[in-house]
Amino acid sequence: MSEFDVAVIGGGPAGTHASLAAASTGLSVALFDDDPSAGGQFDRALRCELASSKVSTFFAHSVWAVTGAYRIDAVGPQGPVHCTSRALIVASGTTERVVPFEGWTTPGVIGLAAARILLNSQGLLPGRSTLVAGCGPLLAAVAAKTLENGGKVEAIADLAGTADWVRTLPAMAARPDLLLQALKWWRTIRRAGTPRYGRHSVVRVEPASEYLRATLAPCDASGLPLNAHRTTVLADCIVVGHGFTPATEITRLLRAEHRYSRGAGGWIAVADQDGRTSRTLLYVAGDAAGIVGAAASATCAMLTGLACAFDLGAADPSRLKRRMESLRGAQRRAVRYGHAMAALMAPSAAHADSIPPGTIVCRCEDVTRAEIDAACDAGAHDMNQLKAWTRCGMGPCQGRTCGDIAGELLMRRVGAPSREAVGYFSARMPLRPVTIEALTGDFNYDDIPIPQAAPL
Amino acid sequence: MSTLRQPSGRPFDVAVIGGGVMGCTVALFLARGGMRVALIERDGLCRSASGVNAGTLTLHMTRAALIPYAMHGWQMWMEAEHWLGSSVLATPAPGLSLAFTLPERDLLRVRATARREHGAKIDLLERDAAVAIEPGLNAAVLEAAFSATDGFASASLTGRAYHVALRAAGVQIFERTAAARIEQTNGHYRVHGPETQAAPIRIDARRLVMAGGVWLEPLFAMLDIRVQVKTLVNQLIVTERMPPVMRSVLSIANGLLSMKQFANGTVLIGGGWQGIGDRLRGPVETIPENLTGNLRLAQYVLPALKKARVTRIWLGLESETADAMPMVGALPGRNDAWVIGCVHSGYTSGPYIGKLLAQTMLGETTELPLFDPARLIAGAPEFSHREWTQ
Amino acid sequence: MRMRIHDSNHSGEEVPLFLDDRPLTARAGENVAAALFASGVKALRSSPRLRQARGMFCLMGSCQECLVMIDGRRALACQTLATAGLHIETIPPTSANV
Repeated sequence: MSEFDVAVIGGGPAGTHASLAAASTGLSVALFDDDPSAGGQFDRALRCELASSKVSTFFAHSVWAVTGAYRIDAVGPQGPVHCTSRALIVASGTTERVVPFEGWTTPGVIGLAAARILLNSQGLLPGRSTLVAGCGPLLAAVAAKTLENGGKVEAIADLAGTADWVRTLPAMAARPDLLLQALKWWRTIRRAGTPRYGRHSVVRVEPASEYLRATLAPCDASGLPLNAHRTTVLADCIVVGHGFTPATEITRLLRAEHRYSRGAGGWIAVADQDGRTSRTLLYVAGDAAGIVGAAASATCAMLTGLACAFDLGAADPSRLKRRMESLRGAQRRAVRYGHAMAALMAPSAAHADSIPPGTIVCRCEDVTRAEIDAACDAGAHDMNQLKAWTRCGMGPCQGRTCGDIAGELLMRRVGAPSREAVGYFSARMPLRPVTIEALTGDFNYDDIPIPQAAPL
Repeated sequence: MSTLRQPSGRPFDVAVIGGGVMGCTVALFLARGGMRVALIERDGLCRSASGVNAGTLTLHMTRAALIPYAMHGWQMWMEAEHWLGSSVLATPAPGLSLAFTLPERDLLRVRATARREHGAKIDLLERDAAVAIEPGLNAAVLEAAFSATDGFASASLTGRAYHVALRAAGVQIFERTAAARIEQTNGHYRVHGPETQAAPIRIDARRLVMAGGVWLEPLFAMLDIRVQVKTLVNQLIVTERMPPVMRSVLSIANGLLSMKQFANGTVLIGGGWQGIGDRLRGPVETIPENLTGNLRLAQYVLPALKKARVTRIWLGLESETADAMPMVGALPGRNDAWVIGCVHSGYTSGPYIGKLLAQTMLGETTELPLFDPARLIAGAPEFSHREWTQ
Repeated sequence: MRMRIHDSNHSGEEVPLFLDDRPLTARAGENVAAALFASGVKALRSSPRLRQARGMFCLMGSCQECLVMIDGRRALACQTLATAGLHIETIPPTSANV
């Protein structure tokens, strides 16, 4: 078994920056990432820096277990691997949130982040024509990129109103480069004549011969549809996203303390400004620590890598501290911008109320809102009881798609004072579904370690 | 602080501490027998062993002496709609206990004989007959013990079923209420909830039933009684929904594997492989070598399983006494306090044993004897280490 | 209108695939889900209880909606790179409504 000083899970910008920072102090670092393309969709320069560093990379490896302090088990193209480390940095990113609406499970409805992956890393338009809906800065980014590449965008439906965007301007001023980028996107969108419906939500999608028909409704500040004129849009592909939820499966599996924060995007590990969690030598970096956006992710992750090195007793601690202090200013500015953007995508408790009773909430197990409400009424007052009684969260996505929504519905149905009061689905191994043969490898019957037989 | 009693102001007739299958069943039958019942549960109903076990309703796994109780319990689960009001999807299925080596075959024969002596109808089958019942079986099997009337249920549905039935029977349910202290005062028991709560509650009752599973040891301590109750930390593994790959309940002679496929297509794998945990912290962590061992057994027995993806692994806490036999009956020297628990394969026989205790408390005649706790309490021997737990 | 973007990052070497024995063409660098999507194949499987058509959704290996058989193994189409000669099979609906 290989031993490392630091293991980093998640090879996006945050995980990469944390790995490089830790390795720069002389520590041995292992970086795990499950992306099969092993190239990511970002920053080639950063990838080159990683390739020429001493970081041991395990690309296309899916980490399915973290135990002890710490043993990492993963499955890669050649089968199971495991290693141990003294410290663990979790840079697992986020899951996109989509608040269910009628017809959201129809093929051809995809996430906003999914559309970005199609455009950036797959070189594909989402559709011959596209509706872009939801909230946050990704709306304009996806719409503009689609238009730039010759696609048609039928409309943009934004939950936010103009006033919401104006409120972000002071924070945007701290990042004039990003403000300029946004203005360029909107110029592209206006030139194409794509209409923008502010304070509008998609309430239904249905097939319409080879297209999809989306119904847009005006909504209030929380995303609740109003009793007002509906607009229909025909498009080949419906792209929708309502913000991002930090991926906390690993930190919850390791029993670090967590709290619920709407501004941060949901449940996050309780951590200091350098990502130290309540558990010794366990850190969070990047959006997994709370939505801060790409720029802040990078700076914060560098600080986490250095903090980890400091905690492990790296050589020349005072020089390390000075390096960290030199990053604080950039961290503050980037985080300010990131928080403003996160506020635009923050989940509203009331938005879940818009889900009609017959609409699927748990896609894996076909559990509707009505079934969830009935279980709450029957006495399920916490997430794990809800899961046991309805199967919501028992499918292969392991609650990633439905968990946040289910928590919102449960809290409201039972009149709980907070999301903390109803909890979250217990984090379990495997962290991702993994085939039995990938876990068992090659073996003979005699290889199986048999404990003593049970008494008669 | 609020003191909870019946609406009339008098103490409850009985407080049942522990909302698993045992406690819930006792509470249900006592309430239907006319008692005013308070059911006190530290978490939610059936969230511990009773809700997270493999749901195996088998005569192969059970301690031989518990076979008659398991057979009654099997019947009750199959008829749950009648006495409980809703189903836990109990499904009859043939059960095969398998031997792949000569020592296992010998063990199989000894166990089958013991179980037959206690009333189970178990036949020994050669390989071809076993494969005819379960075509996906590894053809390396030497011999199998066959029971036509095994089965399984969906344990996760148990809590919901009891919730509805208990409320309908008028039981007062106190969830998220861990018993912190038990006073004996003025001829009744006073169960105190956690002091840390904003409005700590206390429940007065004339009688007490301890049904706390792995927490029986600290519960007994509240009455100044020393009983050793061991906590087993059992590993369970479930796959995603699969096309049909098996149709019987499978186990291995050494007791280290149990497998079944539910109507929803998921395959549940157990066998008592241990994880890390205890009654203070609860289930903590899987041991990777035990996960691999358990899965290798499963894959060896049913090779088609290797293509299935595991979606969840969890640990359930199971209680065990010093002689691995149940603890069911009146506390020594008391006519107002009882205990029920520590039954191996307790999910199968739970409803029947719970009903037996309720009948005893109501003064009714019972068909089978209980399991006197006195043997474990006064001068209990040093608890001997059991190697079957890792 | 074609859905594939042609620029310096995406060079267009063709990759032959089979979906339920039907020949399709992907482009080098695409994952199987995206390749099928671009070829107009959006429905990949059925939901377990209500038997609704489902297809790729998150493209990040999270939602599990793009589960298919690839060369005899259960795999997420969005996490599998399209390589020459890959045999993709859709998984037929199985269990009852439970």
